[in-house]
Amino acid sequence: MTGGRRRILVVEDDPETAGQLTEQLATSGYQVDLAATGGEALRLGAARDYAVITIDRMLPDIDGITVMRQLRNNGIAAPFLIISALGEVDDRVRGLRAGGDDYLVKPFSFLELLARLEALGRRSDTVAKETILRVGDLAIDLISRTASRRGKEILLLPKEFQLLEYLVRNEGRVVSRAMLLQHVWDLHFDPSTNIIDVYVGRVRRKVDDQQAYPLIHTVRGVGYCLRAPG
Amino acid sequence: MLLAKTLTSSTFKLALIAIGTFGVIVSAIFSYVYLSTAHYVRSRSDRTILAEYMSLRDAYLRSGRDALIELIRQRMADRGFADHVYLLADPSSNVVAGNFAQWPQAATTNGWTEFRAADAAPDATRPPLVRGMVEIFAGGDRLLVGRDISDLDSFTAQIKMALISGVILIFVLAAMASILVTRRTVGRIEQINATSRAIMASGLDKRIPLRGSHDEWDRVAENLNLMLDRIETLMGEVRQVSDNVAHDLRTPLTRMRGRLEKAYQRPRSGDADQALIGDTIADLDAVLRIFASIVRIAQIETQARKVGFRTVNLAEIASEVVELYDAAAEQDGTHLTLGGDRDVLVTGDRDLIFDAIANLVDNAIKHGRAGGQVIVSSEHIEGQPVVTIADDGPGIPPCEYDHVFKRFYRLEQSRYTPGNGLGLSLVAAVARLHGAQIEMLDNAPGLKFRLWFSEPGG
Repeated sequence: MTGGRRRILVVEDDPETAGQLTEQLATSGYQVDLAATGGEALRLGAARDYAVITIDRMLPDIDGITVMRQLRNNGIAAPFLIISALGEVDDRVRGLRAGGDDYLVKPFSFLELLARLEALGRRSDTVAKETILRVGDLAIDLISRTASRRGKEILLLPKEFQLLEYLVRNEGRVVSRAMLLQHVWDLHFDPSTNIIDVYVGRVRRKVDDQQAYPLIHTVRGVGYCLRAPG
Repeated sequence: MLLAKTLTSSTFKLALIAIGTFGVIVSAIFSYVYLSTAHYVRSRSDRTILAEYMSLRDAYLRSGRDALIELIRQRMADRGFADHVYLLADPSSNVVAGNFAQWPQAATTNGWTEFRAADAAPDATRPPLVRGMVEIFAGGDRLLVGRDISDLDSFTAQIKMALISGVILIFVLAAMASILVTRRTVGRIEQINATSRAIMASGLDKRIPLRGSHDEWDRVAENLNLMLDRIETLMGEVRQVSDNVAHDLRTPLTRMRGRLEKAYQRPRSGDADQALIGDTIADLDAVLRIFASIVRIAQIETQARKVGFRTVNLAEIASEVVELYDAAAEQDGTHLTLGGDRDVLVTGDRDLIFDAIANLVDNAIKHGRAGGQVIVSSEHIEGQPVVTIADDGPGIPPCEYDHVFKRFYRLEQSRYTPGNGLGLSLVAAVARLHGAQIEMLDNAPGLKFRLWFSEPGG
């Protein structure tokens, strides 16, 4: 986390959930403002510059989507993470279309939320438009869509490359299974099997087997993280 | 009770309106018949009177008073003129000749007159009605020539009576008929109402009795009974599902509880606690996943997602599924291959079709033969877009084909493999939403699942 503590606006009407979120986010190094109603969210969202705004869809006064749209119209550029208890894909897609940057369905694990906040917070940083990304001795070429370690090419299927690219782009950050499904397969649901684990397992064998050190790490209960040692 | 309902029912009110309208029309027709009959009868009689009056008047004017008196006497003696009335009076109204003793008070001017001849038959309860022409001559003599029209009068009165009683009879009959018909209708509706109340009070086991008349009421009752059957089946399924949900949730919840209880009693140890919390979260996730699946199936079944339908390529979706499951198949030692055509277009929801095919492929890999083969192919068969998922495992006995789509249904042989028994229900829900037919075939050996879609736009 560069540039000191990041400030997050949490819009959540349930006091217990709000309390848990505030506490855990504070522990993870965020500065948290809390809004319990849509009106408060509008006021706070306009008053401060936030790294990310998480917004519940069901609020006691104004619908979360409306709040988001209004803040967007007022020129608020902070990325929005929509949190919804409505599991329906349509709702998620509608939320994204209305200007949300990501969504999360209740109930969710805190680690999943953290992973998504990290990914969203990164968006506001400027990313250099490089065509070759490197992590440790791994290099991936975004033009020829090939990967290599210590100059030795790794043979990957197209989807395997996409998965590796997503991990590389989120280097050092935890990426959840749902995020992988969403970004690599464009699937907006959880197929409720260990299919992702098996898939990542295969990519990991191709990338990490017989190498000096492993790059892809399993993060218990959440997903994966690609990082070089040290 | 039933009568009160009959009288307040809308059918009866409609019948009353119909009777009223009909009654007005009938009354109008009858009045016309009556008036024209009466007019005809009277004008005939008037012509007779007028002819007689003319000849008597002529006699007076031509031959004088005495000749007329003579003529009146002749006429009165003549039986052929028995119903005629003649009266001649002098200027001071003293009767000179004729049927009556007194000049009627009503007859004071020239022209038609009508009166009851009270003095002619003082005993009669109803004195004869006389109609006649009056002439007051230049000398002051008065002549009345008329007829006793009591018969005519009673004839028209009879016609009037007949017509009025006809109308009343029609009204009464129509009223009775409408009460009977309404009563029958209300009776049938009451039966349906009674059954509905009984169902609300006790349960879904009641049915509306049929009369076996195969009329529209029987058809209504039949349809309502069918609906009740369907509701009962659905309720049964819901009960079954909630039992299964309870069972499937109880298993992991019990496991979690036991684990936590054991840990609670044992001294804290970082590593063991860590593992325990991890396992518990994984179990909780499984529970939440079951919930999510149930909600998802329920949402698909509401058909709301049809709005997002667009043209998608089955072959493309199938190849993506195969790619996703390739690693899992490899781990299982299963050979997963893709076949069929390159472009198989259907109208639908890509995510849902992906999910359905993924579930079928997942099943095929899990329940197929270890080291076996799973083939996913999309193609046109008889012009219809079809996706087929075939394995060469042990298959399913044909008698189980229907059951596998039930929620939480699990074959005895797969009770202990992971899965929540919701996969095929989801496939069925997706197929239903897309209007696709599911076909299960014996792949000899193994099982072949076919989803028959319809042409896009067709």
